[in-house]
Amino acid sequence: MAGKSNVRILDGSTFVVSEETGDIEATPIEPSGLFSLDTRFLSTWVLTVNGERLTPLSYDDLQYYEARFFLVPGMATHYVDAKVSIIRERAVGGSFREQLTILNHDEKPVDLEIRMEAAADFADLFEVKDEILNKKGESYTEVEPDRLRLGYRRGNFKRETVISSQEPARYDKRGFAYTVHLEPNERWDAQIDVQTFALGPGGRDLRMGLRAHGTERLALQQDLEEWLAAAPKVNTEHEELARTYRRSLVDLAALRFSPLSLGGATLPAAGLPWFMTMFGRDSIFTCLQTLPFTPELSKTTLRILAALQGTRFDDFRDEDPGRILHEMRYGESAAFEEQPHSPYYGSVDATPLFLVLLDEYEQWTGDIALAKELEPECRRALKWIDDYADLVGGTGYIWYERRNSDTGLENQCWKDSWDSISYRDGTLPPFPRATCEVQGYAYDAKVRAARLARECWGDPALADQLEREAAELKERFNRDWWVDDGGYYALALDPDGRQCDVLSSNVGHLLWSGIVDHDRAEKIAQHLVGPRLFSGWGVRTLAEGEVRYNPVGYHNGTIWPFENSFIAWGLRRYGFGEEAATIANGILDAATFFNGRLPEAFGGYQRELTKFPVEYPTACSPQAWSTGTPLLLLRTMLGLEPHEGHLAVAPCLPVGMGRIEVLDIPGRWGRVDAFARGRLNLHHAD
Amino acid sequence: MVDATMRFFEDLDRRGFEPLLAKSAGTLRFDLHERARTVHWLLKVDRGRLQVSQEDREADTVVVTSPALFEDLAAGREHGLAAILRGDMTISGDAQLLIQVERLFPGHPEARGPRRRFGDREVG
Repeated sequence: MAGKSNVRILDGSTFVVSEETGDIEATPIEPSGLFSLDTRFLSTWVLTVNGERLTPLSYDDLQYYEARFFLVPGMATHYVDAKVSIIRERAVGGSFREQLTILNHDEKPVDLEIRMEAAADFADLFEVKDEILNKKGESYTEVEPDRLRLGYRRGNFKRETVISSQEPARYDKRGFAYTVHLEPNERWDAQIDVQTFALGPGGRDLRMGLRAHGTERLALQQDLEEWLAAAPKVNTEHEELARTYRRSLVDLAALRFSPLSLGGATLPAAGLPWFMTMFGRDSIFTCLQTLPFTPELSKTTLRILAALQGTRFDDFRDEDPGRILHEMRYGESAAFEEQPHSPYYGSVDATPLFLVLLDEYEQWTGDIALAKELEPECRRALKWIDDYADLVGGTGYIWYERRNSDTGLENQCWKDSWDSISYRDGTLPPFPRATCEVQGYAYDAKVRAARLARECWGDPALADQLEREAAELKERFNRDWWVDDGGYYALALDPDGRQCDVLSSNVGHLLWSGIVDHDRAEKIAQHLVGPRLFSGWGVRTLAEGEVRYNPVGYHNGTIWPFENSFIAWGLRRYGFGEEAATIANGILDAATFFNGRLPEAFGGYQRELTKFPVEYPTACSPQAWSTGTPLLLLRTMLGLEPHEGHLAVAPCLPVGMGRIEVLDIPGRWGRVDAFARGRLNLHHAD
Repeated sequence: MVDATMRFFEDLDRRGFEPLLAKSAGTLRFDLHERARTVHWLLKVDRGRLQVSQEDREADTVVVTSPALFEDLAAGREHGLAAILRGDMTISGDAQLLIQVERLFPGHPEARGPRRRFGDREVG
């Protein structure tokens, strides 16, 4: 998010975005606020002292769930004379709490009028970038002696913000105030509690019975400490890498999210601020990245996605039997079916990736019980691939064409922006479309499901059948998608079988899935680290030289760290350790420019040109699959693979990384350590 | 008016076993509430085995809604999870059980499902 609102704290789906003063003044270009359940519960939260706005001296994001702001009254020009200072300390965790502390540094007593303006527009997350003008329901404000209640009602849909102060305050319709007299060197404190309610008839909260991480600061802190203690330790001489690893673990903890009604189990939400919810694709990719470090996330993700697997045809939600969901939302637009996210199923990759994750999870953990528990869902997912996804009869590929033509997604692959799929002349193909990486996932899903069928489900006949189907798919794919004059695979096919023959990052996913014929792998590897795709930091979504290439095109030229981590994994899978290390090195170098927190995407500019990675203007951060990226890159560089019940380690580490040890890697082997030393001289890196 | 509701529960009772609920167990009571009158439907789920009655007994999950909305849910014209988000249907107790049972409601009667193309032809 651009602009001055850049202080963010969060806990699951509750988060606060504010200015550096701690103030919130939401506008379409500054969509700040207190958000929970995809709804904005505070759109104004402005502190004044004797009628004056405050100036920030500094702020700290102490932990992901708390921040502290040091302020003085007045404009920046005269704050050096300030005799009073103000500290705002805040935390989220179930509710939002703010502690105000005021210190009088003067030799004389002072009288202060302290006021907080407060308002809530109850905007749906889908509205916050627009003017909030025509809400269909009605707002209300109730001033009570000890609290201020801001509410919004539309039929039985009711959301309330209740603000109360432990220190007695005067409440009015637009906020609350205190009159304070401070002697020299005296201090004053007030604790303000802001609670959010999603109320049904009879006053029951939608979230009742849901276990949050704990609303108390100590509980949050303890939870974070336990989370960090359970993860493997990474010791390295490379300080930036150590910092990036720790940052990733902390951000993953922050992004853990408990979907409503599913017993408080957590999975990674996609990212702050727009995607603090459950996404099939993002959650699965994040789990694949983090499996060696935090395997529990995979277990809950698989169970939750299984519980919400599609069971019927629903054209509004693009739901089919067996399909894994794309996105779940809890706001007004989902409730009143103005948006289809209750949940929306419009993705074609989540379903095969669900199978891929279950197999990978079982190989790491040996949790055969979960593999058996989810057998029916896997069979339904396989049936979806064969029966409902092949929209161009007889091709045997996964295609997509939305049935919800108003609010459904046009592109149901990871590059889901409207112009991401094109022919070489830049024109966009008709629907249905099939993108290459999804066919790779389908191939991998069948190969892996065959292993599960043989080793966990006791169904060798199914295993044989799936292996046969996978082999046929691979053969077909290598015939229909190979672009002869380019030496790579087409980005997509149109319904007539014509190739979208641009060179794109998607070919990197194909290595990861194993669908690439061995004699073609080297060509693909050369493209991935070649000048058209590789910028020096990472692989561009679309190659330089294509008509639609733009270094800041969302899916037409930017670099997505998450994607690069899978490309690196794929390169190693085919034996290109040096090429994998080149990409890992570039992305980890880029991470150092973001204090270890990789953004969703950054510009595709040549590394020598900009010297630093240019952040994509509206990129989300932290974003789960960017957060997971350094973990998968570590796995890739160390060559960690489960192999016949033990953990194989085959390092391929650039010289600059020095020595790395990863201690206590959990798995079916118990806990083991991995060591590596940088021995590889890279040609491509700076 | 209550035809779809009746058919829905009769169908569940007749079905006897529902694979989608093979991992679920518990009792779920629907209270269809209108003015002073409440109609109860009690669904007992035992690892996929289903039993339906109209007893007003304590249950692991209690769902309250109007007979009209339930009729629309049973006919596929309304969507259960959206109704919960709107507050038109409320849950107390084990919400997970309802999320699983909700999957048994039919899709919209006019849903076409995926359309498959064979050359120039399109088939539903």
